[in-house]
Amino acid sequence: MLSLLQNLIDGLGRGSIYALLALGVAVIFGVMHLLNFAHGELITVSGYVAFWALGAGWSWWVMVPLIIVTSVATSLVIERVAFSRVRGASDFTLLLTSFGVHFVVSAIFLLYVSASVKNFSRPGWVADTFSIGSLNVEIFDMVVIVVTIVTLIGTTLLLQRTMFGLALRAAAADFDTARLMGVKSDSVIRGAFALSGFLAGIAAIFWLMRAGSVQPSAGIDPMLKGVLAALIGGLASLRGAVLGGFALGLAEVFLRSWLPDSIASLTEGVVFVLIALLFIFRPQGLIATATAERV
Amino acid sequence: MFPDLRRDVIFPFGGAVALFALFAGIALSYQALLGTGSAERLVTVMLIDAIVVVGIQIYVGNTGILSFGHIGFGAIAGYAFAVLAISPTEKAKRIADAPFGLDLVDMGPWLALAIAVAVTLVAATIIGIGLARSGAESGAVAATVITLALLFVTHEVARNWPEVTGGDRAGLAFRIGGALDSRIPIFIALFVGIVTARLFAQSRMGRLAVAAREDNLAARAMGVNPLVQQMVALLLSVAIVSVGAALKVYEDGSILPDDFFFDFTLLTLVMLIVGGRNSVTGALLGVTLMTAGRELARRLGQDGFEIFGIGLDEAPLDWIFRENLQTVFLGLSMLGFMIWRPKGLLDDWELDEWFHRRIERSDAPAPERLSELDSAADATLTVSDIDVRFGGFNALTGAGITAKQGEIVGIIGPNGAGKTTFVNVITGMVPATAGEFSISDGDGTSVLTKEPSFRLSRRGLVRTFQNLRLFGALTVRENVEIGSLVARQGGAKAALRDPDALIAEAGLWEHRNRRANELDYGNSRRLELARAAATAPTFLLLDEPTSGMSDSESVAMIEQVRHMAATVGAGVIVIDHDLAFITGISDRIYVFDQGTVIAEGTPDEVQNDPHVQAVYLGSAAG
Amino acid sequence: MLQITGLTTRYGSISALRSASLEVRSGEVVGLIGPNGAGKTTLLGSIAGLLSPAEGTVSFEGTDITGAAPEKLLRAGIALVPEHRRIFVDLTCEENLKIGGITVSKSERAVLLEEMADTFPVLRDKWTTPAGFLSGGEAQQLAIARALMSKPRLLMMDEPSLGLAPVLVDVVFDLIATLKEQGRTLLVVEQNATRMLEVSDRAYVLRSGEVAAEGTGAELLERSDLFDTFVGG
Repeated sequence: MLSLLQNLIDGLGRGSIYALLALGVAVIFGVMHLLNFAHGELITVSGYVAFWALGAGWSWWVMVPLIIVTSVATSLVIERVAFSRVRGASDFTLLLTSFGVHFVVSAIFLLYVSASVKNFSRPGWVADTFSIGSLNVEIFDMVVIVVTIVTLIGTTLLLQRTMFGLALRAAAADFDTARLMGVKSDSVIRGAFALSGFLAGIAAIFWLMRAGSVQPSAGIDPMLKGVLAALIGGLASLRGAVLGGFALGLAEVFLRSWLPDSIASLTEGVVFVLIALLFIFRPQGLIATATAERV
Repeated sequence: MFPDLRRDVIFPFGGAVALFALFAGIALSYQALLGTGSAERLVTVMLIDAIVVVGIQIYVGNTGILSFGHIGFGAIAGYAFAVLAISPTEKAKRIADAPFGLDLVDMGPWLALAIAVAVTLVAATIIGIGLARSGAESGAVAATVITLALLFVTHEVARNWPEVTGGDRAGLAFRIGGALDSRIPIFIALFVGIVTARLFAQSRMGRLAVAAREDNLAARAMGVNPLVQQMVALLLSVAIVSVGAALKVYEDGSILPDDFFFDFTLLTLVMLIVGGRNSVTGALLGVTLMTAGRELARRLGQDGFEIFGIGLDEAPLDWIFRENLQTVFLGLSMLGFMIWRPKGLLDDWELDEWFHRRIERSDAPAPERLSELDSAADATLTVSDIDVRFGGFNALTGAGITAKQGEIVGIIGPNGAGKTTFVNVITGMVPATAGEFSISDGDGTSVLTKEPSFRLSRRGLVRTFQNLRLFGALTVRENVEIGSLVARQGGAKAALRDPDALIAEAGLWEHRNRRANELDYGNSRRLELARAAATAPTFLLLDEPTSGMSDSESVAMIEQVRHMAATVGAGVIVIDHDLAFITGISDRIYVFDQGTVIAEGTPDEVQNDPHVQAVYLGSAAG
Repeated sequence: MLQITGLTTRYGSISALRSASLEVRSGEVVGLIGPNGAGKTTLLGSIAGLLSPAEGTVSFEGTDITGAAPEKLLRAGIALVPEHRRIFVDLTCEENLKIGGITVSKSERAVLLEEMADTFPVLRDKWTTPAGFLSGGEAQQLAIARALMSKPRLLMMDEPSLGLAPVLVDVVFDLIATLKEQGRTLLVVEQNATRMLEVSDRAYVLRSGEVAAEGTGAELLERSDLFDTFVGG
């Protein structure tokens, strides 16, 4: 029972970060039908900025706004430089474009920084725990969960209550009709990338706090988690993406504790296999959205 | 298996030989020109990359499904090969705890290679079933993510299962007495790969796969089950990639998890798309260009590299010419091509096809006209009481018709009357909420209500689409050939006609080598009709065949439809909004309104029916 | 007000619209009738910026707007009620209307929302219901109301009676009549020719992508030969 609760908190902490990443992936998929394999690069870029800023003696408190701004800016720049040029292209082209962006960004760091891992200091409290009875809770997990919930509430309000949110939802449902109603395609797509960058920025703060390091290929892991979580949720559904993130986090933590020691190191592999199985039996994801093909 | 021996076997084989010779020639002359050890190594790597890229082309090119997973299959093959082929003494040093007694296995590299390919094919079969289940079609996102997941699974397993793989750091250093010391196996594998790729693309399987790539729905409507072709393409593709991967391990002398991960995936995909993913020639061109470009970028980025005595790694160019420039080069190539030329340099251009077109006489006389058949066949289509509900909306309520082979039955009704939905139901594209339909002939009656679209069309119900669904990148002739290829398997009931003759009948003979997407509207309509007729249908279902045609074209279409149907001995069910066309063509007419049949009869009867007038002119005229 | 000259639109190599010319004057209700596939929807799409014409010009209130993006045209004063309504089914009625009024100020939007609720009482009852639960007739009213939210000077409708039960078709034509009384300028594509001509000031008959006839609604109603287009013989 105790370990169950412990795993639950761990899983939710982990899942929170995935949920933020997945939501960012889903927002962009909604407006552009682009599965963004370059989403993790927002964390890579943020990581290098954090590495330099922390190296210059700045505190982690400054990192919070700095990373968010970096992530939003990077997201917008990538949209401007690459994705804006392939709007409306075939899925094949979109997939490979985002794959290409991933490589260009990581190659730039390879070229101008180095291939080696850059370490930076983590805030002191990241490893701290507190106890409730015999339950050891990481402060970090609690902070992540609380911040994520606040962010998700904020995002929900943004999407439900503001004209921008309304435009984004309308554009995700039917882009052409939204334009007919006067929704500006440029604004809504850039807005989506900014929102996606903001969510990735929050995720980046925690990801980097926990990792304490960055390297050119640092984006692969968060990208994969975000993309898979979004897919678990059904891609088109924002709510599904968030649920997918939590599901993925919980699955990882519980599998790691349940699998026999000899193959515990293969947890991630097992998770991928499970996800592949999910697609095989429910290709539309957990949250199905009906799409009818017009003939 | 191959529609035309000369065009689809002899020429592609010759083309493959020429491509192989050209590619190997370029590689070897480069090596001879430089004559250094590093050039020799570069050429070997290029030859192996070519095997892998040609392998990937078979799947990605013919199905249009983007796969990130082929390098994952490569990892499986590479590790299987290494674990089997490394001598037990070497294994004792690195993977002494290997399960299943793998550490004691002692076999030669060629047997190991064969087993490695077999093992990988088993994995590919499982993944292939998964892809099929996910409803894979051209550009499908879910399918691509499954392949990506495979890449990550193999990488994770390779890193975290050190008992077999040696783990992340040690790797498996390959020693059976040295690395691969001859290029002969590489040449053989490359040659076989190129031949396989070309022949597959020209084969019946390959053509059907390409048809599904161009338009999945239209292909299924003609009786193609794309999942079969996709699976075959995947297995062939993976077999060749596996051989390439095993040779790469043999040649490198070692294997590490990162050897078969993102970087190699990027490299091979860039090579594939730069030249043109839909062409084997393109794939090889891409390998050549990218190998050269990458090597150039690598050298330019090296410290101390000078050109005309000017050091490139000094200011003001030092910000470009740096180490690892080649990775940026690959990434930018990928981006640039996706943005400006997503189909690559060659698109689907093939050497042998070009040559075949050159020598084929373009002024060949059109085949003789086909005679109309006496419709001796006697199949009857009975559709009864079909209901279709979308949400709360009743698209069809108790709709039904009967039609006999050799007869032309018209369905008319205003926009939104449920005509297209009705055809969608009897071609398996929309499930009926209630009701039943069946075909009876001399062999008895078969109920078809729950059958998938591709089975219905094999059973003889073949349709055209209101908004034209041709295989756009294929030529007129290839479009029609797809129809007869499908018919040949389907156990067709009506008459199978020579595709060339049908093309001539449709008045498209002089356009036969043009791509379907270059045709004007009228010709596109006629091509769709000819393509459907080529499947030897029992019933042709035509959805608005005159939509968008001028008056004179519509009138001409009456005779064309009638003649084409008589030529193959099919019955026709034709939907149109245009009463002039329908009355001109039909033996009997059903009038639909609000999802039900409101009148039935001969053209005259229907035209004089007050209900019909009301529906057509609005209540004022009724 | 709207002047279209020699407009040609192609899909690939296929010309769906061939050198069509027509005009809409301020305060008029103009009908655009013709059989399926005649190019009516293509014409509206080309005006609204969903399709880019290959040749010809579209000018609105003296400004050339050929090939402008839909969001620009809406701001210029042209709104389109698209074929099949295309309401946002996951959004509530209110949200659908708000999207329609994205170009007007917040206070104006509030006034317009009130106005729409008065004009379309059925919508007021379903104000916070996701639009996907609306019946066909309600959805069509929502689509029209949504387009009116941008205060367009020209309202275009594509097959507003499509797929509706006869009673609801009456509702739609009554609505067109009401809008006409309000002095709005309308360009309406319809397949229900008679009904449309009855409410039109002027109308154009489109056939195979070309303008086959034009005249006042009454004139065209007299011309029985035109009905061959629809009924034949």
